[in-house]
Amino acid sequence: MKSREQEYKEIFIAEALEYFDALNRHISDLEKRPQEDKLLAEIFRLLHNLKANAKAIGYLRISDVSHKLETAFSLIRNKELQFSDEIVTVLFEGVDLLGELIHNIDNENYGEPDPVLLRNLDIIVDNLSDSTIELAKVQRYNPTKNLSLSELVYIQIKKLDHLLNLVGELVIDRDRILSISRELGNDELKSVSSHLNRITEELQYSIMDARLVSIGSLFNKFPRIVRDIAIAEKKEVDLALSGHDIQIDRNILQIITDSLLHLVRNAITHGIEKPEQREKKGKSRTGKLSLVARNDRENVQIQLSDDGNGIDLVQVRKAIVERNFLSTAAVEHLPPTEVLSYLFEPGFSLAKEVTEFSGRGVGLDVVKNAVDAIGGRIWVESEKGLGTTFILQLPTSIAVKGALLFEVDSIFYAIPLIHTEQVVAMEVSELHEVGGVLVADVFGETITVVYLHELLNVKEREMNLGDKSRLKGLVQNIIIVSYNNRKLGLIVDKLYRQQDIVVKPLSKPLDAIDLYGGVTLLGSGNVCLVLDVPAVTRYFISRRQLVAAE
Amino acid sequence: MKRILIVDDSFYMRTMLKNMLSDAGYEVVGEAPNGQTALELAKELKPDLITLDVILPDNTGLDVLKGIKAEQPDMKVVIVSAVGQEVIVNEAMEYGALSYIVKPFSEEKVLEVVSQVLKEE
Repeated sequence: MKSREQEYKEIFIAEALEYFDALNRHISDLEKRPQEDKLLAEIFRLLHNLKANAKAIGYLRISDVSHKLETAFSLIRNKELQFSDEIVTVLFEGVDLLGELIHNIDNENYGEPDPVLLRNLDIIVDNLSDSTIELAKVQRYNPTKNLSLSELVYIQIKKLDHLLNLVGELVIDRDRILSISRELGNDELKSVSSHLNRITEELQYSIMDARLVSIGSLFNKFPRIVRDIAIAEKKEVDLALSGHDIQIDRNILQIITDSLLHLVRNAITHGIEKPEQREKKGKSRTGKLSLVARNDRENVQIQLSDDGNGIDLVQVRKAIVERNFLSTAAVEHLPPTEVLSYLFEPGFSLAKEVTEFSGRGVGLDVVKNAVDAIGGRIWVESEKGLGTTFILQLPTSIAVKGALLFEVDSIFYAIPLIHTEQVVAMEVSELHEVGGVLVADVFGETITVVYLHELLNVKEREMNLGDKSRLKGLVQNIIIVSYNNRKLGLIVDKLYRQQDIVVKPLSKPLDAIDLYGGVTLLGSGNVCLVLDVPAVTRYFISRRQLVAAE
Repeated sequence: MKRILIVDDSFYMRTMLKNMLSDAGYEVVGEAPNGQTALELAKELKPDLITLDVILPDNTGLDVLKGIKAEQPDMKVVIVSAVGQEVIVNEAMEYGALSYIVKPFSEEKVLEVVSQVLKEE
């Protein structure tokens, strides 16, 4: 955590810069209305504060220059000094110098202030009674520096959103032109389109880059929040943060802010035990909470761990049955990761008895929805008595996603790579009909498999998810996707390639079909539907339960 | 625990004062960045002591002092000022301020003045 000195310094600089801006504004106004007492009083107050603060923190040059300017302005206020052109120039330069000093507080290479300017200020401050004659002594201070503007600009996120949308459109047209150019075989067109390709790519990544912010901008808010919640809950909590510098799209960070806050609050309120309880269990009185961000391939992973109560799997299993999600028999064989995944189910969150023992559940479905909305993943790992870890896997950028392209019934589809686990080819004989669905043994793991043609393009009453004979051909291409810790194999007709795609929202009336997260245009000009893996998984489960019920 | 209201237009000064006072076991119940807020908070919070900066954006510390004293004649007020404002400090003492602290202040000085003023029951 930040030391108090560091905190004081940051506050000092922020406030000093505010004063500096206000001073510039007021002095310009004063030039126009030299008689205005209010302005003089305000300038005096700002310089006075700057002097006192700088003296307190030990920036003596700043307090010295502020003091000289303060004196000059109090003389003007008392009508002992005329607010003339020469004086205005020197005072402005004095204020500029203040700004320079404030900006260079951390700059060890910053030299001495211009002695001519300091002398000019002294002349104004010390030799006033005899104004006209003494003022003639003021040497024009000629600043050698150029007018310097900030290296940074602030830009509304709305404008960046617009740029990103435009570049999305451009990428689609670029792909189209590349494809046409390949068909036509014209050398000139080829060379232009390959240049267009490079420029578009660079533009796309530059805009994506401009939207990135460090995760630290969010993480830095947590020490205070954790402290406040811990005090309110009468707990002792030690927060460790790491990965401040990891970069992520600003809108993604915005969307998960509430989710993270919620998870942190849950961890302290329900996860970490009171100090006395912890001692009884042989743990340290102070609970440990850690928030870690790291890059994981193209994604960003945020991990929140506590060393508190953990989640009792036995109780969660019981609740899954009580809430009619699964039968007692089915729950028995559910691996722990899948048991925990039920904590994110909407119906679960309302289960009061669940939240009391597990301390999780309230609003976890809301957290999950937020993460789904940006195409991320969330899962939880927990050990009873030892603690709980939530892992959020988030895309770095919103608009462009890596995706896997494939074909079913001559229609093009894409699945975002964040949801794909692996791709396997299997012979029909390796698929088995079990309980109305197909299953396959993939590297020792039994995975439910579904023929996408059946699920997407066959009328519901004719659908048969467990009939092997409906498959075409001997070898089946299976894309294994994963959602909420549940794996599902999707059998597709043809597999194509991985490609960056720009997902566009579906237009009406197709937007009502929730199996698709959007649409993208391929270079060939073909429309490609983007499968929403969470929705497809949920749809499959509902179909399977229907089959089981019959 | 004695309750203190801090009146100062600089966030930096308020933070320093607040940290010094809270570390010493006082409860800082409010912070006012201007005279108007100072008068409202003094009335609402009824602290045991008010530290009052003499230069404020809307009105002078002296006006605030008079306002507080008009409503709560027994309120304990300590003036916080900078070097060169002795005239104002003297005037404030005439209007009922009990003591003063000069910026830049040390932690010892602040605590010495505050504890002394609060002891005079």
